[in-house]
Amino acid sequence: MITVLVLTGIGFACAAIIYCVNIVLPHKVHGLEKTEEIANTLPGMNCGACGHPGCFAYAQALAKSPDLISQSPCTVVLQDAEGLERLEKALGVSIDASQMSKRALIHCNGNSEIVYDYSGIKTCKAAVQLLKGYRKCPYACLGLGDCLEACPQGAISIDEEKQVAVVDVEKCTGCGLCVAECPQKLIELVPEGTKIAFLCSYKPLRDIPGREKCDFGCIHCRKCYKACEYEAVVWRKEEAIPEFDIEKCTLCNKCIDECPNNTLASFTRVKAAV
Amino acid sequence: MTNLITIFLSMALINNFILVRFLGLCPFFGVSKKLSNALSMGVAVTLVMFIATVATWIINRYILIPFEVEYMHIVIYILVIASLVQIVEMAIKRTNLTLYNALGIYLPLITTNCAVLGITLINATEAYSLSESIACSLGGGIGFTLVLIMMSGIREKLEFADSPRSMKGLPVALLTAMLLGLTFLGFGGMI
Repeated sequence: MITVLVLTGIGFACAAIIYCVNIVLPHKVHGLEKTEEIANTLPGMNCGACGHPGCFAYAQALAKSPDLISQSPCTVVLQDAEGLERLEKALGVSIDASQMSKRALIHCNGNSEIVYDYSGIKTCKAAVQLLKGYRKCPYACLGLGDCLEACPQGAISIDEEKQVAVVDVEKCTGCGLCVAECPQKLIELVPEGTKIAFLCSYKPLRDIPGREKCDFGCIHCRKCYKACEYEAVVWRKEEAIPEFDIEKCTLCNKCIDECPNNTLASFTRVKAAV
Repeated sequence: MTNLITIFLSMALINNFILVRFLGLCPFFGVSKKLSNALSMGVAVTLVMFIATVATWIINRYILIPFEVEYMHIVIYILVIASLVQIVEMAIKRTNLTLYNALGIYLPLITTNCAVLGITLINATEAYSLSESIACSLGGGIGFTLVLIMMSGIREKLEFADSPRSMKGLPVALLTAMLLGLTFLGFGGMI
């Protein structure tokens, strides 16, 4: 009985002391008003995607130099028009969200054939150490979900059927935390308005002798390039892969229909079928 | 007085927190990449150790021992240290911004550090007096800072060393830690 009393007593005493200290100490700190104002407009989820240890540290850096917002923007705020407006007001600079907002795109179609039985640690980083992964294509998504762990928004999921990681573009804020996580370097940040997704990372330039590409990747047939009536598909000769001009693309889906391997997909439809 | 110096030296060198007692190992590897960070962390740990020691000594002496609930040490100490660190962080943030920026993220990080809890438990089990406890905590904190600074100095140099690819980064740091630990064993016969 006495133990319970002592424990609760100490607990309440600690709470009371913290409460008193909070009231007694000055609330407005000289030299920190602006930081506080900025910090209030930030999401406060401390995801660290901006490269600072937490939202408050980011606010401190912003208070010192507001231009920082263009170099390492808070991608969560960029998604939210109202929050962005408040941050603009607090910072005193105007922010063009459409220029800065990005989405993660995983350049792999999945389902690359499995060439050996891997029974090691279930992370992509570990699996890649052994002969560049256990799939036929050395640039295949292994689908073990290292990127899934890194995503603070829970926007990445594994497509069970295709065994590939897919990004939900509606949840993705384009923070780029997953880009560094992928040992195969399959993830790229693309502008928010991207319409066509190119789902292959095997380029002839990166050819590794003895390892073939899979049956679902780009076969460099240039059909998409020929099909496009709006010159939105640019053929990169050296790498022999298409590039898409989002300004010219009307999303007529012709290139997607033409692609013999379904390596192209409409960007917004790249979502897990689960 | 000799007694206090003995305790101080014993905690700082002979029974060093990191290399002999193996407490506080997470900051030992986590924050020892840069000298400036290591120094901030060391100072923050020393400060919190000192404050926690004083507070828990008072609570132990005037509440736990009279009510005979010493066996609840761990729970109560965790509670007290966590709230103390909160108060200290709040106070520093609102009164001294320069100090707050210098300590940065490390102050809240060490709320749950085992070295801080360890020093209060050592004081309680050894039944030290207040002055002895303070000597013990300062010795522990300074020993901790010393090892952290040594390690970060070495790791900064190691970045440029030509080590084999498989040994780069953490493996070679672990080997360095082993050699550091061996050198600290040499203090064993000092007192």
